[in-house]
Amino acid sequence: MATAALADAHAGEHHYTSTGLNSNKIAIWAFIGSECFFFASLISTYLIYKGKSVVGPFPHEAWTNPATGKVMPAILNIPVTSMSTFVLLMSSLFMVLAHAAVVRGDRKYSKIWLLATALAGATFLGFQAFEFTSFVHEGLGLTTNLFGSTFFVLTGFHGAHVTAGVLWLVTLLFIDYKRGLGPRDAINVDICALYWHFVDVVWIAIFALVYLIR
Amino acid sequence: MATIVAPPSVARHQARYETGIWSWLATTDHKRIGKLYLYTSLLWFFVGGLEALLIRTQLWGPNGRFVTAETYNQLFTMHGTTMVFLVIMPFSAAFFNFLIPLQIGARDVAFPRLNAFSYWVFLLGGVFMNVSWLLHAAPDAGWFGYAPLTTKAYAPGINIDFWVLGLQILGLSSLAAAFNFITTIINLRAPGMDFMKMPVFTWMSFVTQFLLALSFPIITVAVTFLMLDRFYGTNFYTIAAGADPLLWQHLFWLFGHPEVYILILPAFGLVSEVLPIFSRKPLFGYSVMVYSAMVIAFLGFGVWAHHMFAVGMGRVADSAFAIMTMLIGIPTGVKIFNWIGTLWGGRLRFTTAMKFAIALIALFTIGGISGVMHSSPPSDLQQTDSYFIVAHFHYVLFGGSMMGLFAGLYFYYPKITGRLMSEKIGTVHFWMTFIGMNLTFFPMHFLGLNGMPRRTWTYDANQGWEMSNQMATVGAYLLGAATLLFAYNWFSSMKKGPVAGNDPWGAATLEWSIPSPPPDYNFAVIPTVTSRTPLWGADPGPGPVTYPAPAGNAAPPKTAAQLHITMPTATIKPLIAALGLGVMFTGLIWHKNMPVMLAGAAIFVASLYNWLLTPLEPEHH
Amino acid sequence: MNRHPRARWALAAALAIVLSACNQYAPDTIFGAHSQFGHDVDQLTRRLLYMGIAVFVLVETALIFAVFKFRARPGAPPAVQTHGNATLEITWTIIPAVILAFIAVPSIQTIFRTQSEPPADALQIEVIGHQWWWEFKYPQYNFTTANELYVESGRPVAFALKTQDVLHSFWIPQLSGKRDLISNRTNHLWFTPDSIGAYNGFCAEFCGASHANMRFKVFAVSAAQFAEYVAHQQTGPVYPVPVDSATAVKTTAAKGAKPAPAPAPAPALTAAMTNTGTWPLDQLPKHVIPATPLPPGSVDTVAGDAARGAAFFKTAACIGCHTVKGVSFGVIGPNLTHIGSRTTIASGLYPNDHAHLVAWIKNAPAMKPGSQMMALGMGAAAAGGYTDQQIADIAAYLSALK
Repeated sequence: MATAALADAHAGEHHYTSTGLNSNKIAIWAFIGSECFFFASLISTYLIYKGKSVVGPFPHEAWTNPATGKVMPAILNIPVTSMSTFVLLMSSLFMVLAHAAVVRGDRKYSKIWLLATALAGATFLGFQAFEFTSFVHEGLGLTTNLFGSTFFVLTGFHGAHVTAGVLWLVTLLFIDYKRGLGPRDAINVDICALYWHFVDVVWIAIFALVYLIR
Repeated sequence: MATIVAPPSVARHQARYETGIWSWLATTDHKRIGKLYLYTSLLWFFVGGLEALLIRTQLWGPNGRFVTAETYNQLFTMHGTTMVFLVIMPFSAAFFNFLIPLQIGARDVAFPRLNAFSYWVFLLGGVFMNVSWLLHAAPDAGWFGYAPLTTKAYAPGINIDFWVLGLQILGLSSLAAAFNFITTIINLRAPGMDFMKMPVFTWMSFVTQFLLALSFPIITVAVTFLMLDRFYGTNFYTIAAGADPLLWQHLFWLFGHPEVYILILPAFGLVSEVLPIFSRKPLFGYSVMVYSAMVIAFLGFGVWAHHMFAVGMGRVADSAFAIMTMLIGIPTGVKIFNWIGTLWGGRLRFTTAMKFAIALIALFTIGGISGVMHSSPPSDLQQTDSYFIVAHFHYVLFGGSMMGLFAGLYFYYPKITGRLMSEKIGTVHFWMTFIGMNLTFFPMHFLGLNGMPRRTWTYDANQGWEMSNQMATVGAYLLGAATLLFAYNWFSSMKKGPVAGNDPWGAATLEWSIPSPPPDYNFAVIPTVTSRTPLWGADPGPGPVTYPAPAGNAAPPKTAAQLHITMPTATIKPLIAALGLGVMFTGLIWHKNMPVMLAGAAIFVASLYNWLLTPLEPEHH
Repeated sequence: MNRHPRARWALAAALAIVLSACNQYAPDTIFGAHSQFGHDVDQLTRRLLYMGIAVFVLVETALIFAVFKFRARPGAPPAVQTHGNATLEITWTIIPAVILAFIAVPSIQTIFRTQSEPPADALQIEVIGHQWWWEFKYPQYNFTTANELYVESGRPVAFALKTQDVLHSFWIPQLSGKRDLISNRTNHLWFTPDSIGAYNGFCAEFCGASHANMRFKVFAVSAAQFAEYVAHQQTGPVYPVPVDSATAVKTTAAKGAKPAPAPAPAPALTAAMTNTGTWPLDQLPKHVIPATPLPPGSVDTVAGDAARGAAFFKTAACIGCHTVKGVSFGVIGPNLTHIGSRTTIASGLYPNDHAHLVAWIKNAPAMKPGSQMMALGMGAAAAGGYTDQQIADIAAYLSALK
C-alpha cells in the first residue's frame, strides 16, 4: 500500500516543474541571453574600431596602398551579402514550418522543412566561405588591419554558430528518418528553432551595422 | 537532456559506478559534485595562501631579495587569479551544488551531467593554469592582465598563454553552471515554493547565476581577442595597427565589476541563512534583501569604469561613473542594516558559524566604507593603484566572502558529513582568522595613504613603510596557521565529531528536514511548501539548549530503489568531454599543434553527442 | 567590559593596530600635499575619511551593542519575531543617500576644477614613459632629461603624458593624484606646487619586470633656482671641463696607461655651465636617497679617468642608445647630457656615485631586472666585454657630465 502510494507520488513528481515549461527550453533562453552579451561585445568592438584601421582595405571606401600604389576598392559586396541574408531569413521561415509539421505529426513535411532549413543554412555558410576567401584573395586577411580582425572574428563566430545550428538540424533530420519525430519531440524542435532564430537575429544586427551602415 | 532514444546498455554500467573512485569520476549527484568543488577549492586555497605567504615574506622589509622580481610578478598574478577563480568562486559553487536542490526541495539540479561537466572543466582549468609553475612560467601580468603588456610584443613567453587559455576553460565551467542553476531554480522548486518563499541563499545564488551568465561572455570576448592576437596575429590590442589599449580595460571591467558581486552575493546568502537560526528569529527584511540583490546586480553592470578613474576618460564620464558607484553603495549598505536588524531583539547563540557571520558584517562594513572612498574620482586618483585598494578588496573578499564561506562551511558541515565540527577548535580558528585578517590588511590602508604603490616587488627604506609591512606579514602567517587548523578540524571531525542528526541547529529550511548526510534522492517525498521557514512554526522557539544538539539514533534511510525513485544515471561522459577540451587546449598552447587540437575537439564533440542523445534516467514503465 | 576580559583585549589590540598609524614617519603621504590640486584632493579625502569613520563607529557600535545585549543567557527573553519594518527600511535607505549626496557634490566640483585647462603661463613638461624609466622633455626650454623632474614652486606645471610602450602611471603622492600613461594617447595633468621640497615619484600601473623600480625624483625649487637649472640644462655637456683660458688644467692619465689624447678646445666658461641649479646633495632629505643595496659581488674600487672615458664613450655601445648633446644621438635610453648632476641613476633606484655607475654599466640587468640595457662588463654574454678599467673610465666621464 505504502509503496504503491509512494510510486504514485513519484510518478507525478517525475515530470513536475514549477513553471510547466520544459527545462531545456528555459536553459536555451538562459544560453541565448548569455549569447546576446557575447555578440554585443563583438559588435561593440567592431563599432569602436570602425574607421580606425591604419591601412586598408576598408569596408566602404577605396584605399590606395602607399607602398605599391595599388588601388583597393571597398571590399564589402552588399548585393551578394543581401542575397545570403535573404537566404538566412528564409531559413527561419522554413524552421517555423518544420516545427509546425512536427507538432501536427506530419512525417513527410517535417523532413522537407528540416532539410530546407539545413540547406538554407548551409547555403548561407557557402556564401560566407566564398566571401571570406575572396576577401583574402583581395588582400584582406585576419591580421591585415583592425577591420580584418574585427570583421572576420565577428562574422566568423556567427558562422560557427550557424554551423552548430546546421549540425543540430541534420541530427534532428537523421533522427526523423531513423525513428520519426512526433508531437512528443516537438519541444526539441522548438528549442532548436529558438536557437536558429536567435542566430538569424544576430545576423540581422551584423548585416545592418557592418554592411549597411557606413 | 533530450530523452529521445533509450539504449539498453545503460543499466549494465550502473553497477560499476556505485562505489570507489568510479563513483566520483562518473557522479551526477549534486551533493558529490558539491564535495568535489569543496575539496578542490580547499586545495587551491592553500596554494593561493602559500603564494600570499611568499609575497608577504618578500615584502617583510625594504629591498627584500627573498624572491626575484620575475618570480614575484608570477606570485602576485597567480595569487589573485587563484583566489578569485579557483577559491572563492568554486567554494560558492560547492554551496550552489550541494545546497540549492536541498533548499528548493528538488532531487537534483536540472542537468546533472552538465553539472558534472562544469566541475571537471573547472578542475581542468585550475590544473592547466598551475602547470605553468612547473615550467617556472606562471602568468605574470597581474590577474587583470592589461594590454598591451600582455600582448606578444611585451610578453613573448608562454606565461600569458597559460593565463589566457586557463581563463577560457574556467569561463566555460562557470557558464555551464549558470545555465544549470538558472533552470534549476526557475523550474524545480517544490510545490508551493514561490520565488518569495525561497531561502535567501538560493535567492542570492539565483542573482549570481544571472551575473555569471551575462558577464562571462564579455571576458570570453576580451580574452579571445588576446588569444587570437597572441596565437594568430590579429590586431585587437596591437597599438601600431591603431588598436585602443583601453578596449581591454573596458571589456575586462565590464566583466570585472559584476564579478565582484558574483564573489560576494553567495557569501551574503550564507550569512543570511546563519544569522536567523542563531538569533532564533526570521531574517529582517526578506523582501528588501531580495530586491536589493537585484538592484545591485543591475547597477553592477553600470559602474565598471570606476576601476579606470586614472585613465583620463574625461570629466563627464568620471562624474557619471562616480555617481553610479555611490548609488550602488545604498542597496549594499541596506543589507548590513537588515542583518543587524536580524540580530536585534534576538536570542543570540555564538556558534562558530555565527561568529563568522557576525564577522562578515563587521569587516565588510570596513571594506564598504573604503569602497565608497574610492568612488570619488579626485580622491581616487590618490588611492587607486596603491595599497589602499589592496586593503579595500581584501576586506570585502576575505572579510566579506571568506568569512561568509567559513560561516557556511561550519553551518553546513553536519549536513554534508553527518557530524559536527569541534566548536572548541572552531573558536580558536575564528579568533586567529579574525585577528590575522585585521593584522594583515588594516595596516595596508596606511601604506596606501602613505604613498606605497601596489604590485611592487619591493620598496625602498626610509619611506616609513616598514612597520605596516611587518604587521601585514605577521598577520599573513597567522592566517596561514589558522587555515591549517581549520583543515585539521574539518578532516578530524569527520571521524571524531559527534553525530549530527537531521537538524543540530534548530534550523528553518527544507534541507534540515532530511537526514545528514542526505540520501541520494534527497527527499523521500517532495514536500509541499507553505512558508519561508517550513521547519519553524509561528515561533522557532529557543532552539537546542546546547550545541551540538544530541542526535537521536535514526534508522538508516531507505534506498531510492526501495522508494521507487528513479535517479539520474551515473556516467563518465562529462569527464571525457572535459578531457577532450583539455587535449584541445593543450594542443593549442603546445605550439599550436593542429593534430592534437583536432583530436581534442573530436573527443569533445563525440562525447557531447553521445551524452546529448542518451537519456538522463533509465526509461521506466 | 570588566566582565569580559577578552573583549578588553580585543579592543586594545584593535586600537593598537589603528594607532600604529599615528606619529609615523610618512614622507610620501597623500595628506598635506604641496600643491593646490593636492589640497583639493586632501580636503575631499579627509571629508570621505571622517564620514567613513563616523559610519564605521555607528554601524560597529550598533553591531557590538546588539551582540552583547541580545546574547542568549539564562533568563534572557525569547526572540521577538519581527519580519521587517518598512519605516526603518525607508529611513536607512534615505539617510545613506543623503550622506552620499554630501560626497557626490564636492567630488564632481573637484573633478571639474582639477581637470580644467591649465593656465597659459604653465610650465609645460612632456613625460614619456618607458619600460622602466621616465623621459622628461621641456619643450619651452628645448631640453630633455630623465628620471629627475624639476618644477618651479608657485608656478603651474602642465604635464603631457605619453608612453613609448606599455601602460604606466605618473604618481607623485605629495603633489597630486596620478594619471595613467596610455599608448597612442596623450593624457594631461596639471597642478601648482606651492612650496620648495624634494619628493618621490612612482610608476603606479603594473608595467612588467621592473615596475617596482620605475621611480623618479621631483624637486620643487624657487623661481631663481629653476631659472638656473633651465639655463644649465640648455647648455651642452660640460665636458671637457670648461676652463678660463688663463688657467689651463692638464688632465692626468693613470700610471702606466696610454697618454691621454689631446683635449678638445675648452669652451668658454659661462655661469650656466657651472651653476647646475640642482638640489644641493648635502641637503637631500633621506626619503629621496635610494637605499637599494648593490647585488652581491658588484663592489668595485677601480678609479676612472674621465678623459679616457670621454674618448672611449664615442666608440662604445653607449652611443647606440643614449644622447649626450653634440656627442651621441641614441634615443632608446635616457638622455645623459647632464647625468653627473642627477642625484640618482637607474630611474631613481641607486645613488649617483662612481661605485653604482660602474656596477650599473657592468651589469644593468642584475641591478634592475629586465633592464633593456645589456650587461657591458667582462664575462657578459652580450656585446659587452668591457674591462673594469674601461667601465670605470666611462663612469668617470659620466660623473663629469654635470
